Formats: sequence, structure tokens, C-alpha cells
Amino acid sequence: MAQIPNLDNAPLNLTSLREQSQKELLNILKNIRGKKCLVIDPKLGSSLSSIIQTSLLKEHGVELRHLSADPLQTDCIKVVFLVRSQLDLMKFICLNVQDDVSKGFQREYFVYFVPRRTVVCEKILEEENVYNLMTIGEYPLYIVPLDEDVLSFELDLAYKESQVDGDTSSLWHIAKAIHKLEFSFGVIPNVRAKGKASVRVADILNRMQAEEPVNSPDMVVPEINTLILLDRECLHVNNGSVELDASIMGLQQEGKKIKVPLNSSDKLFKEIRDLNFEVVVQILRQKATSMKQDYTEVTTTTQSVSELKDFVKKLNSLPEMTRHINLAQHLSTFTSKPAFLGQLDMEHTIVEAQSYDICFEYIEELIHKQEPLVNVLRLLILFSITSSGLPKKQFDYLRRELLHSYGFEHMATLNNLEKAGLLRKQESKSNWLTIKRALQLVVEDTDTANPNDIAYVFSGYAPLSIRLVQHAVRSGWRPIEEILKLLPGPHSETKRGRFSSSPSYDTLQASANIDKVADGRRSLVLVVFIGGITFAEISALRFLSAQEGMAYDLIVGTTKIVSGHSLAETFVERLG
Amino acid sequence: MANVSVAAEWQLLGDRYYRKPELYHPMQWRHIDLSRNKVACAPFGGPIALIRDDSKIVQLYSESALRKLRLFNSAGVPLSDVVWKNTGGRLIGLSWSDDHTLVCIVQDGTVYRYNVHAELIEPNLSILGHDYFEENVVECVFWGNGVVCITETCKVFAVPDFKTRTVVRLADPPPPPSELELELELELPHCVAVIEPQYTLSGNVEVLLAIGDGILMVEEDEVQALPVPPGDGPLQKMVVSGNGRFVAAFTHDGRLAVYSTRFEKVFEYQCESALPPEQLAWCGLDSVLLYWDDMLLMVGPSDEPVRYLYDEPVVLVPECDGVRILTNTSMEFLQLVPSSTVSIFKIGSTSPAALLYDALDHFDRRSAKADENLRLIRSSLPEAVEACVDAAGHEFDVSRQRTLLRAASYGQAFCRGRGIGALLRMWRAWVGFGSNFQRDRIQEMCKTLRVLNAVRNPEIGIPLSIQQYKLLTPSVLIGRLINAHQHLLALRISEYLGMNQGEVGARIFNSAELQRIGSRKMFVLSLSFCIPLCQGEVVIMHWACSKITASLAIPDAALLEILLDKLRLCKGISYAAVSAHADKNGRRKLAAMLIEHEPRSSKQVPLLLSIGEEDTALMKATESGDTDLVYLVLFHIWQKKQPLEFFGMIQARMLARDLFITYARCYKHEFLKDFFLSNGQLQEVAFLLWKESWAIGKNPMASRGSPLHGPRIKLIEKAHSLFSETKEHTFESKAAEEHAKLIRMQHELEVTTKQAIFVDSSISDTIRTCIVLGNHRAAMKVKTEFKVSEKRWYWLKVFALATIRDWDALEKFSKEKRPPIGYRPFVEACIEADEKGEALKYIPKLSDPRERAESYARIGMAKEAADAASQAKDGELLGRLKLTFAQNAAASSIFDTLRDRLSFQGVS
Repeated sequence: MAQIPNLDNAPLNLTSLREQSQKELLNILKNIRGKKCLVIDPKLGSSLSSIIQTSLLKEHGVELRHLSADPLQTDCIKVVFLVRSQLDLMKFICLNVQDDVSKGFQREYFVYFVPRRTVVCEKILEEENVYNLMTIGEYPLYIVPLDEDVLSFELDLAYKESQVDGDTSSLWHIAKAIHKLEFSFGVIPNVRAKGKASVRVADILNRMQAEEPVNSPDMVVPEINTLILLDRECLHVNNGSVELDASIMGLQQEGKKIKVPLNSSDKLFKEIRDLNFEVVVQILRQKATSMKQDYTEVTTTTQSVSELKDFVKKLNSLPEMTRHINLAQHLSTFTSKPAFLGQLDMEHTIVEAQSYDICFEYIEELIHKQEPLVNVLRLLILFSITSSGLPKKQFDYLRRELLHSYGFEHMATLNNLEKAGLLRKQESKSNWLTIKRALQLVVEDTDTANPNDIAYVFSGYAPLSIRLVQHAVRSGWRPIEEILKLLPGPHSETKRGRFSSSPSYDTLQASANIDKVADGRRSLVLVVFIGGITFAEISALRFLSAQEGMAYDLIVGTTKIVSGHSLAETFVERLG
Repeated sequence: MANVSVAAEWQLLGDRYYRKPELYHPMQWRHIDLSRNKVACAPFGGPIALIRDDSKIVQLYSESALRKLRLFNSAGVPLSDVVWKNTGGRLIGLSWSDDHTLVCIVQDGTVYRYNVHAELIEPNLSILGHDYFEENVVECVFWGNGVVCITETCKVFAVPDFKTRTVVRLADPPPPPSELELELELELPHCVAVIEPQYTLSGNVEVLLAIGDGILMVEEDEVQALPVPPGDGPLQKMVVSGNGRFVAAFTHDGRLAVYSTRFEKVFEYQCESALPPEQLAWCGLDSVLLYWDDMLLMVGPSDEPVRYLYDEPVVLVPECDGVRILTNTSMEFLQLVPSSTVSIFKIGSTSPAALLYDALDHFDRRSAKADENLRLIRSSLPEAVEACVDAAGHEFDVSRQRTLLRAASYGQAFCRGRGIGALLRMWRAWVGFGSNFQRDRIQEMCKTLRVLNAVRNPEIGIPLSIQQYKLLTPSVLIGRLINAHQHLLALRISEYLGMNQGEVGARIFNSAELQRIGSRKMFVLSLSFCIPLCQGEVVIMHWACSKITASLAIPDAALLEILLDKLRLCKGISYAAVSAHADKNGRRKLAAMLIEHEPRSSKQVPLLLSIGEEDTALMKATESGDTDLVYLVLFHIWQKKQPLEFFGMIQARMLARDLFITYARCYKHEFLKDFFLSNGQLQEVAFLLWKESWAIGKNPMASRGSPLHGPRIKLIEKAHSLFSETKEHTFESKAAEEHAKLIRMQHELEVTTKQAIFVDSSISDTIRTCIVLGNHRAAMKVKTEFKVSEKRWYWLKVFALATIRDWDALEKFSKEKRPPIGYRPFVEACIEADEKGEALKYIPKLSDPRERAESYARIGMAKEAADAASQAKDGELLGRLKLTFAQNAAASSIFDTLRDRLSFQGVS
């Protein structure tokens, strides 16, 4: 398993958060005495890997297994299922248990739901007649810190569930997670939300505060000053965009084979991760050359011992270097492919929304060539959104071609996309151009090596989401109200806690700011992306946060870290 | 001296003084004759229960022949009454348990329980049960929360705790010696006593039976004969002391004997009468009271007993620090005079406290002797103050309390500021007990006395002594007040004592004390809702609950207002708990109105369900955003209602409907179909059918039989017809139709080619497979059948041919006619197959120079690429191409020169 992220430099005390989660898990394991087989659902497994080391689990007499439909292979008498409370996972548990029963194994079963037990899951276990065999518990893991400024709620299906199925459980979870944060760090006084889901989360959060108030002593300034909630729904645009952040591609590509720890604990990575892919190669080359120079110096001139020592120290970072160079090489094979560049080009064209026909033909051709379905869908979604849907004839045509090329089983996928509003018939004129212009989404002349605007992450396209954050942080929603109205979903802005009643809030805030400056810390803004965030967006946010004159530290909260690819993938569902 | 009158009321027993202050006189009741009644008085100043004794023949005056159970407080204020209509024969015993439940046991062993409001607490408990229903209870002995019953056949049963309601049959005493068998079948014990479980080694109750000349100790599983000193037995009457260590017994020959519980004699006194006393009771731990008609005898560890004469019947109520004596007209408290009081009021006392008290008297009369007194006791002033405070606490008379406290405070004033000489040294020894400590003591005592005086008020009628109060603890006292519906006083006291902090409440609820004594109801309530409550909230919530019970006549809306008025006072009120109570009292509507105010949805929703407000529950659950709650409601309704009604209910509720669909999609397909059919969403049914068709396809068992007419195709066709029912789904309908057609065709292909590789691939894949297999006719057929566009056809065929590397066929194909999408597919296919030579055939035919340039670049022909690019006059393209050729110095220089030329042109 990957190394767990280093959180020492986090602006919030995330370490304690993680330690709490660790402790809770270990307590669960401790309470079940003796050897036990821990069956984790695979997705949860990857979340847990950033919480706790496998070795620590093994110390507690745990044998790890992944949950699947296949019968369980273990000698342990005690079996602990640690699963997210997802309906489909219950099926696996039932299969496993029923298999044991039919084979006459007598085992003790424990089911721990993450983050909480739910009526519906228990109902399924009941109906499958396995409920009586098991002890039910819960493991309240709501937040996983992925990095010193990134928190994840690990709800990878949140977007699809709430958009397609209308299952808003994830919204409650997000609110609960934020509420939990508030218990540690105080009530967040400012909440700004944009989009239906976000406004709902803000609403639920307020309810929770009413039901179970966080008692913050009056004199303490809450650690998080502002909460910004944004919906993927109104920001779909990014979904389609190619994920360009080079280092991240690395994570996705390499991650499957060997997990390379890619987070702030790796110094070099910290330096390069947020750079545009075009630049990474250059930096790596520089580093390599300087090292080579050092090396030649060593061999040619006689040097003092101390200098040698220095050199050896440098050599220590060599494995890191080689790893990254390998990664970069691996990446460049992707990025230099014409298809990749073509797609990048095309995405820019679509975002610029100038030449409808070219885009249409390009997508048509992709379908004809039977390029990977997800790639096609990404472009198609982007295309549909920027032009607020496709004319009926073309809509039907493309759909038919899709079914013909990829099989009729993708009817369900199309249906999902349609329900989520990602792919639809044109009904009104597109307002994309207005939005694009008002928020300066497309920036000409970006210098990717020395960026001065967030547009650098997509080589010239500034993600809508980040632009909104920029505005929300700077001045609140009021100045851009008109533009917000153009985007789908309502928006809201509320003041909470003891500030809600204070009319002279602004002065209060001002004084709070002064306090902050005095102790050398900036106030914190928690930006929550409901439906996921891309690494590129995180990079852009980090860039924002690092700008001079920025009065806030930004922390990102998200349902899951996604890429255009993985997001589109959640919608792919075969009828079969 | 003023003190004389106080001490004059005392009686000396041995070397100790006893006093008998009147708590209430006269009693508030009227025409009560204790001798006509069975009486039960609860300890700790608890209520009194009276019922006409049916074992005595009494004359009825102008009263009903029906017996009434009447409950009074200790001052004789009627609390409630109820007509005794219980079956089961004669009432054998009644007593108050620790939580103020009146326990009545009748002949057939049924236990009836009443609360202080004379309401029967169901269910009744039967001690004898079915197995011994022929037996009768003849005797019962109560303690704390338990009872021991003896039947006429001398079987012993015990209920160790009325809360757990389990009946234990103890071991049977051995049958009497055989020679007696002729006379009597079974000998009943002369008297019975019980050693409470808390004082026994085993932790179970031990019963002492005086049978014959000896004593049998009966336990759960053994009987032990205890040797009584010869000549003492048979014992006529016995009683165990309050600490469970001694037994006082009246012997057959008129002696009072005190034994240890193992019946070693400790003390003996010869009474004047051999007639056993009517009542026998311990007074504290060092004297025993015997009551015969008209005479109360107090025997202590000295030769001379104290006699009190009564011309009316009395009832002795043992307390931890004395005995209350109830008569028809008064309530007295017989107690040992506390040592502090003795030191002050004893005739001729010269103790510092007495002098201090005297000094105050002089001071009040402006006599200089006050100062003289003070001088005398200067060195022991703190002790004197302490004694006065203590004595005040033990006083029942308010004016005497006041005088004593004034004396204390007078003395305390002189304790301060005398930091010189001997005094100073003395004070130092008192560090930590200095004047501050004394001031606090006085204040604290004032507080305690206020509380005590408040509850001693005849209206409340709880005559607690300070010692009893401390043993009982304030929180239990508050619980009892609540129980007696004295909410206001309870609230005031809890506020006055500063018990409104949550932690106090939490502690109270954790304390075992509360479980033992006090308000069990609130305990249960608060536990079931798991809220840490503070005392004030407990009081108010209980008040609300009692108010609901008591206000049957008040209409819901009005009652709601009254309740809310008070409930709003406290923040942490659980409206759900109050509402649940309203529901239990049959006020469903009120419950619904109350639950509206509960802020915690997780408490609100289940309760709404339990009172049948499914609609509201669903609404609230949806509002809360907690999908788990919505599911809870959903399953509840689902179980309760007919499917159609259920469908109707969730149809309008988006979230509920969606959640239902999500669940049903996973686990209840058929039911989901019904749902969609019921609301006319035929297309959804169609989707479900379509999905099922795949499930069948995967299952090899299901696809048996003729594939052409297999169930799979049938399902798809059914889906097709359902789609076509609505206009909006023509696309889906057509797709389903095509799908069915495709599967048929693929089956045919599989039959003709004898290769099972077609079914479940897409149309495009089918075409490709056909071409790869060389079956161009079949490919053509699929193409025409599904109206595959020329464009797609070209892409498919080109790639298929490239896959089998049939370059000749490819070339032939390119020459068939002018390709509708140009030659790009050909170029791409060749490049991807790494056939530069083949690619070169087609690159020149590309019409767009840019495409040409890129294609050349991809096969590494820099020069040609550059040429084409310059033709396109595209600087950006040139730059990019240069990057591709970065390794190749010659090539990159070409690009540079070209680009320079281009930009130069651009400028000009």
C-alpha cells in the first residue's frame, strides 16, 4: 500500500483528524479478539490506505481480503466486513455468507458500515436471511485527508447517484463531514454555495447545527473562515477537459502497477506536480544535468571530503529523480501522441465554442473509429454543454452511431447521461459564450512556465470552477450575481454561528483578519467540490493560494478526486 | 434560662437523651382511625396508605361498604384515593417500595402496584403463579424493593426486586418432627423477619422463621437452623435492625432480647407483660420500641426504659435516625438528641456552644454579659459556631433554627480579624477551616434548611430530618417531588441548589441511587432517548408528561400552548419524549403537534411513524436530507400499506421515489415493474426488460432452445413495443427493434460460420468481424440492413482490412470510388500498422496540406512534412513539427528556416 500522506504542514490540524480515524479503526479490530479476516470493499481499501498502514493492521491479527462475489478463502473463524453502505456491496456479503453456510462453515461475522449503518443495507441483509448471523457496527470515516490541503469524502459515485438516481445520500454525508470538521475547528461563519446540491448541503449543514449545535466558546475565532460549496452540475465543463497535469497522469498510469507515493511527502514531486505538463520535462532535464555536472566535477577534480559529502547527499535524491524521469518519459509517450494533442486541440475548440461543425465531425469520426468510449463521451458531454444541447437530428444521429459502434448495451449509459443533463437535446440557445466572456475563461497568451493566471493549468482555459472560487473568496457572490444566474442551480450565501446575528459583521471580520496577520497565519477557506475535483483544479487553487495579496489559505474538500475520464466512467453502465 | 424549656422535653435513656418533636399536629386528615385500617408509611417522610382492615370487624359509619385505598402525605393531606375492587381475596400486606410504589399483596399471591396517584401500575404480578394457585399467602415481609411471602403450607417465595419482577421460590423449611405430625399438619412460623440482600454474604435475601423453639434461616437453596439460646424460644416477634446486624425479638416469656443475626444474645430486658407487643421497631441503632395498646416502651442498653403513654392507636415508622410515630391526630419523630444540641441545651451545660447561644441571648437583650460569655469561650469559638450550625440543622422548629443560626453567625463574626496572640496560633491550626470555611458552612446550612423547611410544609408533607435528607440525596428528593407532581417546587429546588448543570443531570442519571430510589420513570424516559439532561429539564419534561396525563379535559391546542409555554424555558428538552408520552395517553393529535417542535429529525421521524403520521414522517425525513430516515419511513409504509397505496404515496415525493427505485433496481425487479406500470412509465419497464434480456444472455441455461425465438429476443421485442407506446421514445423503440434484428442476424451468422463470436458484439464489430473473416457479402448485408452510413463503412472496412494486412484489397477498396471521407482513414490505418510504404500511397492524395504535413511527420519524413507545412502557411504547425523532430538536428534546422521565412512573410 502507498505511504500515508504527510500532513505536518497542513494549515489545519489534520493529523489529529487522521489519528482519530486510525484509532477508531483499531478499536474496532481490538474489540474483536483473536485472528480475523478483514474483508474490505476495494474502493474503501484505497481510501484506507491513506489513513493507516497495512502493517499496522497486520499487527492486530488481521488477514486482509477484498470483497467480491467470489467465495471467501480464509481459515479465520471471525470475518469482519468493512464496507461502504452501498446497496450493491450487500449482495457480495450475502453471497459470501451464504456460500459459507452451504459449505457448513461456522463463522462469526461482523459487518462494519462506513461511515454509518443504514436501514436499507440492513434490510437487504435481513431479506437475504443473513442478518441474524452477523454483528453490525459502524466505522464513522467521513473524511480522508489526502494531502495537507486536500480532504476527500471518498464518495466516488456521489455525482452519478445524485444526478441520475436522485439518491442524495451523499449530500447528507458531505454535510455531516463538514459538521464533524466544525466540531474540531469551530463553526464556519461564512457559507457560500452555488448549485442545487451545494445549496442543499448548506441547508442540511444548518439543520445539523440546529439539531446538534457545535458549542464554540465565544472568544475563539473559528479556524475556518469561509466555506465555499460548488456543484459539479454547474461546472460540467471541466468534465470533458483533458487532464493535463502531468504528474497526475503519472499517478493514474503508474498507480495501477506499483503505487508510487505521489503527494507532498515527496519534495521533488511537490515542486513539479502543479506545473503544466510542458514544463515538467524541462525541469527534470535541468536537475539531471546539474547532477551530471556535479558528477563530472567529482571525477575530474580532487575535492575535499565535505564537498564529497554534499555530493553523496545529492545522490540520495537520485532514486526520486529517476522515478520522476521515468514517469515523465512514460507521460510524454502519451502527451506527444497526435491523438492526445488532437483531443486537446479539439477541447479548446469546443470550449471556445466557435466552430460547431468541426467539433461535430471530429466526434463523429471518433465514434466511427471506435475510439475508447469514455474519450468520446467526454468530448460529447463537453460539446453538449457548451452548446446547451444538440439539435434533435444530430442528437439522435450521434446516439444511433454510438449504439451501432459500441453496442446496444450502452443505451443505459446514454440514458444516464441524459438524466444527468450532460447530454441532451437542444432546447434553448447556449449562454456559454456569455459566461466564457464574463469570467474570462479563455485566456490568450499564457506562459505555461511562469503562469500569471490560473488558465495555465489547461494551457489557456481557466476552469470555470476556479474562477468562481476566485470571485467567491475575493468578494462574495454579490458582484457576479448576474453570471451566477446563467449557470444552472440556485446559489446562496449565509452567515452562521454568532456572526449571523451581528449586523456589524464586516468590522468583525476585519478585526479577525488583523488578528490573523498578527500571529502570522492567514485565515482559511474550505472549498468543497460536490461531485469531485480534478487534479488540475487543485493545482489552480494552489496557484491561487500562492498568489501575492491573497488573504486566505485554501483547503480543498471533495467527494472524490476525479479526472474527466473517471467522471465520465461513472456514467457508463451496461444494460447487461 | 431559655434553654431549660428545650431540655425539659427530653427523656433520658441510660446516658442518652431522646426527644420526640411533633412534626405535624393536628394531622390534616379527618375522622381517621388508624386502628380500623391497615397502614403503610413510606420511610424518608414518604406518603401514607390507608385501607380498611378486612381482617378486623369494624363498625361502619356513614360510609360505603366498599373499601377505599386512600393515600396521604405525611402531614395527612389527601393525595388520592381509589376504590379497592381487586380480586384475590384478603389483603395480606401493603408497603411502599423505594420508588414510592405502593405494593399490595392479596391472599392468592397477586401483587397490585399503585403509584402515589393511586393509579394501578399494570401488569400485576403473581407470586404464586399457576403452579401453586391453590395456596394462600398468609404473611409477607417487605424490605426496600422486595418482599418475602409465606404460604399456608409454609412455602417461602421472594420477589427480590419489583422492577425485575422475578419470583424466586426459596428452599422449603424441613417438615416438623414426626411426633407432632398428628396434631398439626404444618406449623406456621410465629414470626418472620428478613435480612436484606445488601447485608447478607450471599447477596440474596435471608429469611428468618421462628418455628417451634428455634429459628430457621431460609435462603434460596438452603435452610439452616440457628440455635437460639435455650429458654428464649419460641420467639413471638422479631425485627432486624437498620444496619442488618442485630435482631430484636420478644420471647415467649415476656423478655425483649437483642441478638446478633447468628442469634448470639447481646442484651436482654424483662418486660412487665408476657403478651407480645403489637409493634416492635428499632429506633436508630441503639434502642428498641415496643408498643402495646396505650403504651410505648423504649428500651435501650440500660436498665430503665422510657415509657410513653398514648390514648390512641399509633403506627411506628422506622427511619434511619429514629422512628416516626403516627397517631390519629399527630406525627411525631422520636430520635436521639444530637450531641451538638445536647451540648447547647443540656441543663447546666457550660460547653462553648451553650455559652455562645447564651451570649446571643444577652446580646439581644443588650446585656454586657454577652461579651463576658464570648471572652470565656474565645479559644473554642469555632467549635461553638460549628455546634450551633449543626444543631440548627437538626431542629424542626423554624424559629429555633433561626436562633441557632444567628448564634452561629454571631460567634462567627468574632472569629474573624482576631489575628493576635493565642488566637492566632489557634487559627493557624485551623488553616483550611478558617472563618471562610465557617461562613460557607452557615450559608450551606441555610440553604439546606430552606429546602428542608419547604418540603416539610404540610402541603408537601415530607418531614425529612437532615440526616435522612443527606442519605436520600437532593436529586432523589427532586425525583420524588416530581413523582408527586410538585413540579414547581422541584424546579425551584433544583435551581436553588444550582443543579441545572448538565453534568449534575448526567451524574444523577448514572447514579445507581436513582435506580434504587426515586423517579424511575424519568430515568427510563431519559435513557430511552439517550440525552444528557440537566435536572431542570428533567423536572420540566416530567411536568409536561404529568400535565398531559392529568389534562384529559383540556383540548389539544390549548394544552399545547400551556406545555410549550414551559417547555420553551429549557434548551435541551426532548420534545420527542414528551410527545411519545402524549401518544401513550391516547392523545395522538397532541403528540403530532408536539413532535412538530422536536428539532432532531432522527428522533422525530420514528415517533411520527409510531403515531401513524406517515405522510408527515416522510416529509420530515425528506427535509432533513438524511436518506437513511427516508428509507426508514419508506420501508415502514411499504410494509403497512397495499402496493398501490404505497405507490401513490411515494409517487409525488421525489426523493422517496428515487430511493425506492434505487433499492428496487437492485433487489426487487418485479415490484419495480409494477410500480412503473402503475404510474404509466412504460419506458422504464422497457428498460428493465431490456436489462433482463442481457441477464438471460449471460446465463447459458436460459438460452437453450431455438435462439431465433429465444426468450431473449422476446424480451427485447416486448421492450420495443413498450417504447413505441409513447411518442418521446421513438429513438429507444427503434434501437430496441434494431437490437432484436441484430441478434437474429448474429445468430444466423454464427450458424453459417459455425463460430460463436458474433452474438453481443456491436453492429460495427459485426461488420469488422465479417470482413476479417473474408465474408464481404455478409458484411455488406449487415451494412444495408442497418443503413450504415458510407462514412462509417469506410472507416470500418479500412481498419478491418489493415488488421488482416490485406494491403491489396485495401488499395482496391480505395480505388472503388472516391472515398466519401477522403484518404485519411487509409493513411491512418497504414501508419498505425507501421507500413510506411503503404501509407505513402495515400498521403499525397490527402487534400489538406496540413494533414499531409503531419502524416509525413509521423512517418519521419521531415523534408516532405516541412514542404507540406509551408504550403499550409501554418507557423504554429511548423513549431510543433519541429518539436517532434527535436532529436534530429538537420530536420529541426529545416523547420527553423521555414518558420523564419513564414513569419517574415507574415510581417510583410
